[in-house]
Amino acid sequence: MAALAAAAAAAQQPVPSKAGPTLIKNATVLTVTKGKLENTDLLLQNGKIAAIGKNLSAPAGAQVIDASGKYVMPGIIDPHSHTMIDAVNEGSLSVTSMVRIRDVLNPTDINIYRQLAGGVTTINVLHGSANTIGGQNAVVKLKYGRDVDEMLFPGAMPGIKFALGENVTQKNSQTAAQATGRPLRYPSTRMGQEEVLRDAFTRARDYKATWDDYNAKVKAGDKTSVAPERDLELEPLVEVLEGKRYVHAHSYRADEMLMLLNVAKEFGFTVKTLQHGLEGYKIASEIAQAGTGLSTFADEWSYKVEAYDAIPYNVAILMRHGVVATVNSDSDERARRLNIDAAKMIRYGGLTEDEALKTITYNGAVQLGVQDKVGSIEVGKDADVVIWNGDPLSVYSTAETTFIDGEIFFDIKRDQQMRQQAAQERAALEAQDRGRRAIVP
Amino acid sequence: MRNRRFVRTMPGTMLVLGTLAASPPLLGAQIGVQRERNAPSVYAITNARIVTMAGPAIERGTVVVRDGVITAVGASAAVPGDARVIDGAGLTVYPGLIDANSSVGLASAAAADNAARGAAGRGGRGGAPVQQGAAMSAPNSLHPVGLQPELAAIDFVHADPDAFSGPQSAGITTILATPSSGIFRGLSAVVNLGGANAQAMLVRAPVAEHIGFTPRRDGGYPNSLMGVFSVLRQTLLDAQHYAAENAAYAKNPRAMRRPEPDPSLDALQPVLSRQIPVVFDVSSQREIERALDLAREFNLRAMIAGGEEADKVAARLKAENVPVLATLNFPRRPQQSPDADPEPTRMLRARVEAPRLASKLQAAGVKFAFEDGGLTNWPEFLANAKSAVDAGLSSDQAVRALTLSAAEILGVADRLGSVEVGKVANLTVARGDLFSGRVTQVFVDGTPMDVRAPTNANGAALIANGTWQITVTLDEGEKPVTLTLQQVGDQLRGTIQGALGSNQIADGSVTAAGDVQFRTTITMNDGSEEARFAGTIEANVMRGTVRIVGHPQGTFVGTKPAGAPGSGRRGSPPPV
Amino acid sequence: MTAAFALAPIAASAQLGSYNPSPGPQGTFAIRGGTVVTVSGADIPNGTVVISGGKITAVGANVAVPANAQVIDAKGLYVYPGMIETGSSVGLSEIGQGAVATVDISEVGSFNPNAQAFYGIDPHSAHIGVARVVGITTVVSRPTGGIMSGEAALMNLAGDTPPKMAVVPRVALVIELPRSGFGGRGFARAAALQQGAPADANRVRAAQMDSLRKMLRDADAYGKAQAAYAKDKSLPRPAHDVVLDAMLPALNGQMPVIFPADRANDIRDAVNFAQEMHLKPIIMGGQDAPAVASFLKQHDVPVIVTAVMHLPSREDDPYDVNYTIPAKLAAAGVTFAISTGDRGSEIRTLPYNAGMAAAHGLSKADALRSVTLWPAQIFGVGDRLGSIDVGKMANIVVTTGDMLEARTDTKYLFIDGRAVPLESKHTQMNALFKDRP
Repeated sequence: MAALAAAAAAAQQPVPSKAGPTLIKNATVLTVTKGKLENTDLLLQNGKIAAIGKNLSAPAGAQVIDASGKYVMPGIIDPHSHTMIDAVNEGSLSVTSMVRIRDVLNPTDINIYRQLAGGVTTINVLHGSANTIGGQNAVVKLKYGRDVDEMLFPGAMPGIKFALGENVTQKNSQTAAQATGRPLRYPSTRMGQEEVLRDAFTRARDYKATWDDYNAKVKAGDKTSVAPERDLELEPLVEVLEGKRYVHAHSYRADEMLMLLNVAKEFGFTVKTLQHGLEGYKIASEIAQAGTGLSTFADEWSYKVEAYDAIPYNVAILMRHGVVATVNSDSDERARRLNIDAAKMIRYGGLTEDEALKTITYNGAVQLGVQDKVGSIEVGKDADVVIWNGDPLSVYSTAETTFIDGEIFFDIKRDQQMRQQAAQERAALEAQDRGRRAIVP
Repeated sequence: MRNRRFVRTMPGTMLVLGTLAASPPLLGAQIGVQRERNAPSVYAITNARIVTMAGPAIERGTVVVRDGVITAVGASAAVPGDARVIDGAGLTVYPGLIDANSSVGLASAAAADNAARGAAGRGGRGGAPVQQGAAMSAPNSLHPVGLQPELAAIDFVHADPDAFSGPQSAGITTILATPSSGIFRGLSAVVNLGGANAQAMLVRAPVAEHIGFTPRRDGGYPNSLMGVFSVLRQTLLDAQHYAAENAAYAKNPRAMRRPEPDPSLDALQPVLSRQIPVVFDVSSQREIERALDLAREFNLRAMIAGGEEADKVAARLKAENVPVLATLNFPRRPQQSPDADPEPTRMLRARVEAPRLASKLQAAGVKFAFEDGGLTNWPEFLANAKSAVDAGLSSDQAVRALTLSAAEILGVADRLGSVEVGKVANLTVARGDLFSGRVTQVFVDGTPMDVRAPTNANGAALIANGTWQITVTLDEGEKPVTLTLQQVGDQLRGTIQGALGSNQIADGSVTAAGDVQFRTTITMNDGSEEARFAGTIEANVMRGTVRIVGHPQGTFVGTKPAGAPGSGRRGSPPPV
Repeated sequence: MTAAFALAPIAASAQLGSYNPSPGPQGTFAIRGGTVVTVSGADIPNGTVVISGGKITAVGANVAVPANAQVIDAKGLYVYPGMIETGSSVGLSEIGQGAVATVDISEVGSFNPNAQAFYGIDPHSAHIGVARVVGITTVVSRPTGGIMSGEAALMNLAGDTPPKMAVVPRVALVIELPRSGFGGRGFARAAALQQGAPADANRVRAAQMDSLRKMLRDADAYGKAQAAYAKDKSLPRPAHDVVLDAMLPALNGQMPVIFPADRANDIRDAVNFAQEMHLKPIIMGGQDAPAVASFLKQHDVPVIVTAVMHLPSREDDPYDVNYTIPAKLAAAGVTFAISTGDRGSEIRTLPYNAGMAAAHGLSKADALRSVTLWPAQIFGVGDRLGSIDVGKMANIVVTTGDMLEARTDTKYLFIDGRAVPLESKHTQMNALFKDRP
């Protein structure tokens, strides 16, 4: 068990930033945690935010960007994404904790770039919602064009996706499944979902006990016992029990969320986030009391029965009750404009600007266990920042330059050059393709 | 040799005939039988150019083969008095070409039946083998089909001269016979494409364990790419644990209940101990990287088969000493209707870059051989190798990849891969040069076989290849999309573009019968989800069902531009 | 697990079956001191808008407030015409998945010109209350599916009954032209799907197009026969037919025809078909419209752009290809409106679709026009809706700021000169739960 964990950790060693220093001058800096700073400079160096202040001097070789009239904010964090994966669901079984999003990340997905153009720098890539216990997630920095290992967020807490409600019971597709003669997969009710959770964690407890016994024997000098079988399904659940892996649970209805919180309490772990949690506002106190966060849509609702009671005041109500709440996309499309979704939170429920920004930055960092690295503009944090041509809470603003670890991964001017290059490449390829000898037997 | 003795001592030919009659076609069987008579099997090819691969080419020389073995090679080698002499003037003799990853001849009885009825291309991954995959199961395995590492290709090899005539026409005398479907696909064997039966054909087995990242199709675990990796990991861990358990039991049987024998986990022991390599059938950069990561995680000896984007991982392949069995089944230009969405640049690039792979691997110092990649239109095999030469590989390097390099990678260089005294008498004879002339004859185990000019009938119909205008009907309404598919053998790759976002498809496949499946990510109002498409192609119509988690089942239907079904089979680009 | 269910009796109201508070009477109101964004002309700082009898009766900086007027202090606020969402199916579909009984959007069969949205719209759809509190006062709601889907209605988002909501009960015919990948979901499609033998989809499509042409030509002949009989009773009395009848306004040019089409070729096909059949086309969707902009301009065809927020549909497309559709159409002089294209629940994001277009090259003024005056003009009600001008219907939104900004809130809302309570299912649920301990 230790060996694999070590391998995973090794893969997440930070890669030194390849970027030289950048000095962003004279911007309106939205720090998110320390308020709005007018006419302020920001120095990015060695992949970190090195200095924030007025009239900073540029180190030798620094790229200097005049950001007069522009805004700088932390890179947006999307706590619920299915971008850049070659598979979303392992829906064959009720419990698929053994599958890993890491294995199917596609670093060439064009949607990464589209989201960079919307100011997104970190995403939580989650397994789908087909089964009660889904797969292990991956927290990724959107370093488009880099190897997967370089994109994985160093030090992000491992997590796992759970799912409750309609998608798991498969009510929407049951008729079709029956028509094709496919057997129904357990569970088909919310009652069964509770049972699946209880059963899985009961087995995980036993598994842990088996290993604990074995390890104790070895420690006592036993050299003959064969180690128990490794079980990749139960190992991540043991990590959950030990507080080493976050649970991100897709859920809609208040009752199912409460069920999960109670099961978790019984087994002694904390659910890190309720994902979607559209009816979270109905049980805001209970969620707050459980120490659980919630990540939701800004204003999606009514697309299915369990989404009919969703309201855009959800985030505000939860935050007023002390829940760490975020706005997510769950969508390649919406991920490109989370700034607008955050602004809606000012209208619906009266969040302050900083609170609204937190729902797409700092709070997401908390939910992923990386708040010491990203989510706000503070000296020493990762240089994941975005320059906007106006207030990012305005629909009229666009992201102009997106930095991750001090490196530019999207730039609106560079994008224009890339279009020309792409057109040239295409023309050249087409010429070569036409010129290729026809294969005639 | 045991087989031959067996045949000779029995009242003989009738029995053999009787046995072989069960596996059509009969004509080939009869030829095979005649080979077993006592006719002299000594041949001398004289006055030929000989590309030995063991040293410089001999511009004008003689090769002598006797009883299946090369007995003399040289500019002045003597022609034995009992030899049948072939005047090699104008001919070039090469070591028999090796197709380093192939399913030729692996057809099951059912698939062979189909092939005999002309229902599909035979062999290869282009036609019947998808059904064949379903039929290939290891006896008494404790694991489901597709997860049986103990499955041995040699048990499924059929001595089917008709199936071999295509590859022979491309100069191929030897293949690495590989089970082509599933996740743990089984053990491959080097076999010669000639002989009365599978055992006579066998050169070496097992050569490698083969792994593909193809989820199960029947809904059972794993039905996703994610699950594939978990199953691979868990099974390898189980194999490790199995070894430990058995070792403990062997030491002290009285201390524990005897471990239940598991042929699958047995088969993985030489894999875990690096005695035999693992061939991963993967193409894209990220697939290759996933394969290498898995190999690293379990300290496996990896090889890559297919490897279309192996050049992008060349440094790592070199550093980790991973050879590539590079496909010669290059992607073909899809049919495109005038108003269709443009093909993505990525696919255009892949097509243009395909011939450049080998020279890039050569330059990077990565070991490589060539494989057919499921190709069934055999003229393309050498034509595409020629494209690789045109794209910068030297002719010698190309021949080496097809002969000695392949033999080295597959661990049979002591027997195959060069024209040297003592080696198996597998020879490929071309009029003129291999790449600009024509293969006229091959020797397999010392037996000459005239090759027939290949016909196109062998070409797998590229029924899915092309640009499809599809309407997906979901509860939310109708979503028009453009599906651009490239068919390589029975594999599909491509993109879906339109009202459901733009995404690459994954795990795509098509059978000769027209059953098509793939999955992709789509974006709808309430989020991104995985959609699984399953349907059928008839003529230029594709239709079927779409399954998306949390949504009622949808349907899709659409067309590709008018044209005869499978009109892309020739691989010739349409006029632009 | 505290007293969550003390709230149960009220929470029950949140289940299916909702209620949109009724607007008040058509009184006289004077909205005073706000910045009046007329859309048709210059903004009027510190202006006044007077509403009476459902109409705008006065607009300006120095307008007398009638003695009987209820005065609304709009100091610091902004006064806009209500937004018009033209790509919706509001009231026809409540819950898209898993609640099939709440979806009345597509009729059976291919040709349903007589299926009128007007008769299917639920005035108490929760979507209505939710949409109007962001400032959407009017929608075009249309049936979908089949080939002739039915007739769209232009409805105000206030009123207890469809007749009270209707501005134009029959505003446009909807024709979904069969695409090369089939299209339509009526009998021809079903037949094609069920054919065991290899079917040539292009042939099926051609057959569908033929039956569509025949249907329209039959209707044309029917209309002429009825007209002839009306003039000359000596002719044999022609039988009546509700389906053919329903097509006449479109054939007579009184009613435009909405053609959903996104791909360049589909757009061209739709316009050419409309020309051939003498129909007045409106393109809905229009993702590739910039590529055929000069063609659209040449034929004076308006476009309802629903794709602003859509992902680029092609892998190689620039990231902003759809954000920039309106700017490109504006530059090419094509008439257009912006729409969410959503059935109902998400039409409240209409202002941000327009705002996104403005962030990508469209002027802010045009962005506002694209959701107010231009959609009104496209659907023939430019003289009644879409701007703050005397004589127009009093659909007025009073906001805390720029109406297209997501953070902006609505303070007052008038539809047809009636004050509309700023309540919705969402405000109700918020009130129920926000202070729950």
